[in-house]
Amino acid sequence: MNDASSVTDRFAGLVAIVSEHRQALEKQFARILSEYGAAISRLAFSYEAVASVREELVQEIALAIWQALAHFRGDCSERTFVYRIAHNRGLTHVGRRRPPHQPLEELEESKQPVDPRPHLDEQVARTDQQARLMSAIQSLPVTHRQMIVLALEGLSHAEIAEVMGITENNVAVRLTRIRKALKDVLGERT
Amino acid sequence: MTNDRELDTWRDQWSSVAEPPAEFQRKVQERIKRQQRRFVLGNLLTVIAFLGLLIFAVYMRHQSSWMGTGWATGICVLAMVSTAYRVWIFRGMWRPQAQSTRAFVELWHKRVTARIRLLRISIYVSLGWIIFCAALTAANWATIGQDVKANPKAWVVVLVACALMQYPVIWYGAVWLRRRKLAELNEVKKIMDEMDGKSMS
Repeated sequence: MNDASSVTDRFAGLVAIVSEHRQALEKQFARILSEYGAAISRLAFSYEAVASVREELVQEIALAIWQALAHFRGDCSERTFVYRIAHNRGLTHVGRRRPPHQPLEELEESKQPVDPRPHLDEQVARTDQQARLMSAIQSLPVTHRQMIVLALEGLSHAEIAEVMGITENNVAVRLTRIRKALKDVLGERT
Repeated sequence: MTNDRELDTWRDQWSSVAEPPAEFQRKVQERIKRQQRRFVLGNLLTVIAFLGLLIFAVYMRHQSSWMGTGWATGICVLAMVSTAYRVWIFRGMWRPQAQSTRAFVELWHKRVTARIRLLRISIYVSLGWIIFCAALTAANWATIGQDVKANPKAWVVVLVACALMQYPVIWYGAVWLRRRKLAELNEVKKIMDEMDGKSMS
């Protein structure tokens, strides 16, 4: 009888530990989504031009983060962890389905944010510049896109190197070349 | 921020490019719940199918004919193989998503190559199985022939069922899945070349 109740107690204890661990994971996940949600959306923008597919991609990235979160042991920063997963998921998306490049005119206006502060002309010019930047980024090869996006997200060379698995020197050299390529594309489209 | 004005301007434009989709968190939570339900249901169905096949095998064994024994053995092997495959897939739930891009792409390349190899092998195994069955039938024709003459319709049904079971394996493996995987392999190679700087001008 005592043995049976001890087994039940142990089982209840185990269930409580698992439940606590799950709640902690859910909290961490919710925080990551609110902290990096916008960054993930921007990143998805560089991999997918079609809005409905992009929304799907954003959800898939979030799902991949959730699946990997239980195995996250803090061997890199949380930021690196999130960007690694997001980019790897983006790469899989591109690898399995490489959509035709969407021209500038087709970028939906609804996805362009409305900034209430600047004057209307200024706002239009700004939106146009954003669209040109996005289109130029989307025209780059996928790994170059990945690197410039990480740089635009404000990651240091060391962090980019950690996300991509290459050396810091390599990041510096490549970024210079990618920036030049991006500037050329933007120049062509002015 | 850096003193690099060009990069700062791009960052400024970039940071307001997109907002998370509406009700992003709720949709993700719903998707997680859906996936968990699918996972539980999938495992439940596997257990039910496994038990069902074992019960069917025991039933066939008790038919006490050589056909019954053959069916029971075949079903047991099928049940063991499919359950082992399911467990293997379950173990493969580990996804290398949190690795660096280079490690991820290298592993992806290895996996796609292995899958293509596996598809080729499965086609050969499938053809080998047909040849083995034909040889076995020829070797035991003295016994089987009598049964064929006695129940010709039943044997036609068995042959048609076997052909129908083989056809999707060969067609699916040889044509559709292999073509898809080869296309994926090309894309992975392209990404690897980009990473090695081969496509950089």
